[in-house]
Amino acid sequence: MEVSETIAHHILDHDFGVMVGTLHLPITAHTVTMVCVSLVLLLTGILMARRGKSIFSRLLHTAGEEYVAFMRDGIVIPGMGVEGKQFLSYFCTLFLFILFSNLAGLIPQMKTITSNISVTGGLAVCSGALIVYCGLKFHGLWGFIKTFVPGGTPWWLVPLIFPLEVISLLIRVCVLAIRLFANMLSGHMVLLSLLLIIFIIGGMSKIAGTGSAIPAMGLEIFMTLLELLVAFLQAYVFTLLTSIYVGLVIHSH
Amino acid sequence: MALGPFSAKDHVVITTLGLEFAVAVALGTGGGYWADRHYATTPWLTIIGVLSGFALGMYIVVKEARRMGRTTTSDKNGKDHGSI
Repeated sequence: MEVSETIAHHILDHDFGVMVGTLHLPITAHTVTMVCVSLVLLLTGILMARRGKSIFSRLLHTAGEEYVAFMRDGIVIPGMGVEGKQFLSYFCTLFLFILFSNLAGLIPQMKTITSNISVTGGLAVCSGALIVYCGLKFHGLWGFIKTFVPGGTPWWLVPLIFPLEVISLLIRVCVLAIRLFANMLSGHMVLLSLLLIIFIIGGMSKIAGTGSAIPAMGLEIFMTLLELLVAFLQAYVFTLLTSIYVGLVIHSH
Repeated sequence: MALGPFSAKDHVVITTLGLEFAVAVALGTGGGYWADRHYATTPWLTIIGVLSGFALGMYIVVKEARRMGRTTTSDKNGKDHGSI
């Protein structure tokens, strides 16, 4: 198998092709991982919400409270103001889902589902829907339309500015999806490429291949740790940007 | 007017500006290319699309810079006049 084929095989989604009668169920590696992540999140959420008597249960409950307090004081209120408190549950879920999805790729046999543009696109559409919902909720239909025209714009510029503002909102949603997708995909491609260096050089000379294994593995460990950081960072950035964009719509006057 | 100091929120927004600019140009180019193929007007609509995308990208960057400048001025004066 060619190097590019190996990378593509690892990165791309694989359909297991499950048929129920004549109905084709698109059960793929990514959907299976997504279901696993969702189940783990659900279980974690239930355990966090319970206040049992064991030390583990109390620790988990405290961690849950700290997490929610961090999301409220570190992301939602700075980005959206006190109005954002009512959407706190959405942001808590969003952050944990993206984080667990990013981290899933570091577990053997699991896939990084955020390296699939459909997944990040779906998350970005949810954030876009929240932006529109908040605009309509806090300003009404006419008020929301007026937020697309900055104050002080001459009337003859309105037909030009209005579409520009609408497209820039769409671009923001697209950027949310592309940023997360590109970061996670490129990270995994780099990890795989570093590993394949050993086999490429080993194919030319076995001694050189053995010699290249040590630096390649060193780089591999470094990049894996970097991927761990990126997983947290990208979940944080996606959530923070969503809160900022929603906050801009809420406080547009 | 000098911009800054920026808030943590502004730093995150600044990191997205480059990508927003690139997506604006890519959308303009893609739209122009599609329209050129559809109406057989090669290469005029692609050129218009590229220029429109570039203009939109610049509009986004300048708008964000102005907003950050206003927020910084408001913070220095101890007032908050909102984000946009």
